[in-house]
Amino acid sequence: MSTLLIVILVIAVLFALWAMGIYNRLVQLRNQVNNAWSQIDVQLQRRYDLIPNLVEAVKGYMGYEKGTLEAVISARNQAQAARNQVQQSGGPTESSLKDLATADSALRGAVTNIMALAENYPQLRASENMQQLQEELSSTENKVAFARQAYNDNVMTYNTAQQEFPAVLVASALGHHIVELFQVEDQQVKKAPKVSFS
Amino acid sequence: MAMNFWDSQRQARRKTTLYLAVFFGLTLAASILAEIAMRVFAGDDYGDPQIPYVALGFLTITFSVAGFNYLNYLQAGGSYVAESVGAELVDPYTRNPKERQLLNIVEEIAIATSLPVPPVYILEAKEINAFAAGTSPQNAAITVTRGCLNLLNRDELQGVLAHEFGHVYNKDMTIGMRVAAMIMGFFIVSYIGIRLLQSSTYSRRDDDDRRGGNPVLLVALIFVVAGSVTWFFGSILQAMVSRQREYLADASAVQYTRNPQGIANALRKILRENVSDMPKSGQPFAHLYFNEHSSFWSRLFATHPPLEERIAAIEGRSFEDIDMPPFPRARSRSIPPPPPSI
Repeated sequence: MSTLLIVILVIAVLFALWAMGIYNRLVQLRNQVNNAWSQIDVQLQRRYDLIPNLVEAVKGYMGYEKGTLEAVISARNQAQAARNQVQQSGGPTESSLKDLATADSALRGAVTNIMALAENYPQLRASENMQQLQEELSSTENKVAFARQAYNDNVMTYNTAQQEFPAVLVASALGHHIVELFQVEDQQVKKAPKVSFS
Repeated sequence: MAMNFWDSQRQARRKTTLYLAVFFGLTLAASILAEIAMRVFAGDDYGDPQIPYVALGFLTITFSVAGFNYLNYLQAGGSYVAESVGAELVDPYTRNPKERQLLNIVEEIAIATSLPVPPVYILEAKEINAFAAGTSPQNAAITVTRGCLNLLNRDELQGVLAHEFGHVYNKDMTIGMRVAAMIMGFFIVSYIGIRLLQSSTYSRRDDDDRRGGNPVLLVALIFVVAGSVTWFFGSILQAMVSRQREYLADASAVQYTRNPQGIANALRKILRENVSDMPKSGQPFAHLYFNEHSSFWSRLFATHPPLEERIAAIEGRSFEDIDMPPFPRARSRSIPPPPPSI
């Protein structure tokens, strides 16, 4: 009788340890995903903060390219709004991520336009301020891209951990669910570049 | 065309494990052979003890010296190493555009690797070179030469820094230091053997001649042979491990940046470089610079694979010296420049 009791107890303890292991691993992975997201968020915000500086810097030189400047400002505001949307919905969801990705690539297109136009103004190109801005913008661009890469890697690990047996039996009961990847539709890549010699 | 960096990383990791296993096997084999030699040559004096004293002596000395050395290495964080070769910390608020760019790139790669941002040092040297030092990602420091900033473009500099982050991520400094500590252990064993040999030949003059061999003399001799043989082959294995870690760091750089041309072109520029002015005071630290792969011996002990082979591995095709903007090249030098620690 007492042996049976001991066996049951041992099994119960083993089961509890196993469940604890899964629980802790999933929590750790989810926190990594959240942390990776906040990295993206920080860098996106940094980019949105840099855009007004860029516009300020080029305004003096290319004042009559008003349309381009306004386009970049409105793209920036849309991207900022999409980012705030994600923030308010308490983290990335499928639809808010998609909106953000679209708004963000539109913004990137607009910035690329300005940079291309700036090539026509040697004085602007040579200005120290502009060079600094260019470096900061391309660095932030890289940081966003790398942060996205890290986020997607973390999401993949987290999702895999939930789908693996035996964690799949308890994952959703413990409040874990599959997280969306942050994929960017790169309009620049999909669209063939337009070249005009005028 | 381009390298499959996941496969390359797996391959380099597998080879590291293999070489380290051989290294460990070599240590055990040396201790066992030493014990057998003692029993064969000094059977009378040594007897046939239950406990293999000579083998245990060899292992104890090696591992305690190695352990002591390793603890010593651990004291020195990355910043200590960087400062001791004369590198200077980059001001986080620098206004110099190239330094600004350097700090930006370091932050980028830190994000890509999810590692903490390390302190960045600049070494005032004209050649293109860089190294990572430290015993953990938390105390790692990255040093680049002024030559890196002056001669590399943004993508190339990013490739170089990603390579150094690869070393940090893969804990290559720790592996290197452990192996170096073991090599030091072998050296000390043979050194003890030599000292014993000296003292026992002196004491023998006073002693009346004993029939047969002197067991102390024999132990000393066995220590000298076992210590120097393991030291020699251990050093070769150390270099083999180091070369695999370079391939691994190259493959990691491609993983982080997804831009094989960055690191490949940086290596091309090093290949065409004609200055070498890294301070010699860096030599005690790790395997920073060793001589070029000109002869059989220097190839055997080289800590870095030949640049051509690294470029070929990164680009996934045989090496071609093409696609490069003109770069100052001097063939008049008779001494080949030392390899980079990149």
